[in-house]
Amino acid sequence: MNDMNLTERAVQAAEAKMIARGVNVHYGDTHALKDVNVDLLDRTVTAFIGPSGCGKSTFLRCLNRMNDTVASARVTGEIRLDGEDIYDRRVDPVQLRAKVGMVFQKPNPFPKSIYDNVAYGPRIHGLTRNKAELDAVVESSLRRAALWDEVKDRLLSPGTGLSGGQQQRLCIARAVATAPEVLLMDEPCSALDPIATAQVEELIDELRSQFSVVIVTHSMQQAARVSQRTAFFHLGHLVEFGDTSQIFTNPRDPRTESYITGRIG
Amino acid sequence: MHSERHILSAFDRDLESVQAMILKMSGLVEDAILDAARALDTRDDELAEKVRRGDKAIDALEEQVNHECARLIALRSPTAGDLRVVLSVMKIAGILERCGDYAKNMAKRSMIVSQANPVAGASGAIRRMARAVQVMLHDALDAFVARDVERAAEIRVRDADVDQMYNALFREFLTHMMEDPRNITACMHLHFIAKNIERMGDHATGVAEQVIYLVTGDMPEEARPKGDVTSLAPGMAE
Repeated sequence: MNDMNLTERAVQAAEAKMIARGVNVHYGDTHALKDVNVDLLDRTVTAFIGPSGCGKSTFLRCLNRMNDTVASARVTGEIRLDGEDIYDRRVDPVQLRAKVGMVFQKPNPFPKSIYDNVAYGPRIHGLTRNKAELDAVVESSLRRAALWDEVKDRLLSPGTGLSGGQQQRLCIARAVATAPEVLLMDEPCSALDPIATAQVEELIDELRSQFSVVIVTHSMQQAARVSQRTAFFHLGHLVEFGDTSQIFTNPRDPRTESYITGRIG
Repeated sequence: MHSERHILSAFDRDLESVQAMILKMSGLVEDAILDAARALDTRDDELAEKVRRGDKAIDALEEQVNHECARLIALRSPTAGDLRVVLSVMKIAGILERCGDYAKNMAKRSMIVSQANPVAGASGAIRRMARAVQVMLHDALDAFVARDVERAAEIRVRDADVDQMYNALFREFLTHMMEDPRNITACMHLHFIAKNIERMGDHATGVAEQVIYLVTGDMPEEARPKGDVTSLAPGMAE
């Protein structure tokens, strides 16, 4: 009770991990994302909010070239990870996605054992030399995802047999196992109950000590709780980007205010 | 600020009702100020007693505002402008409650003053001062309703006039007490009444500052003009 310090809200790192400049995305004739400029800071949680179809997921998917898999998608502009253009022809998207991991809305564990789910990434990327090292990576990843204690006695049972919240944390463990530098999360809690949501949020807060996390969420309260920086997207535009506490107490743009206060914007 | 409606209309109704409560509070407080000053001026103990009893209703309203605001925060998680509405409503309710207490105190003292010999010119001057503060409070609430920053800023400046009136009365009471010690009881009470009104002026500027916070998201930075010099002037306050 004697500690008057509020929860640490300050951004811990000033240097940008990923930089996006003039990013435009077209799906066929649809102009989905219009001239987006963003600096994603290292060791910081950045939340993308906005109504459905505003472009936030599209932009998230640009960050690890997931849009490459969409035939009609055309991405222009520049996105740099540690100064390196990720759309350069010499960049291997598979290698990029090991550095920029992703967790999806619905838990999608592979139809394999819990162990193999987590070991999959390190195996295909050849990150470990022997079984002992792989075991260690699996354990530390499951621990970081706050799942180890719940699954350590049944690592060989199928991942799909876990509860929804456990499956999502398994997917986070799987994403963490390749030692990414950036973790993208597309509505990671929308299929979870409040307890599992709180566990994932706590986890996100822990993960930011190691890398930069970008989370797309429809829950404004979640964005307010977990992020240090918030970006508001609307109709393909990045409307406002700033400190989360500023966005939620005193947004500069009336469209941001309309959206976060639950008015028609 | 937004004139747009929430998608959830109950949210709008809740926000409007807490704002209506402080407007009602303000109405009661303004009446209490004017009535207390009139009771003093006309030596009307019955009216003073009415003001004294009326403070309960103001206190009850403040409690209701706090209760409803807590519920609103818990159930609706207001953000941005909505959050500032709730926060400023709670602060203004607290300010108005305090002003109600001052008016009640004025009424109590007026019942004592009415037993003593009149102090020439004092009650009329106090009544003018009370009127000025009541208008400030009224304008501050008008600025709140209109979300009018300029008007709010102007109210902050106006507080200097009230301070001037208080300074003049302070000197006057001092003179009366030095002239004739039999005036001391009445003058002491009259001085406290004047001081209460001067404090209410400060509170009215507090409401105005909440209006500025509500609209801009920031409290006004520059210090407002200070007019009460009685604590600074050597030889005056001793």
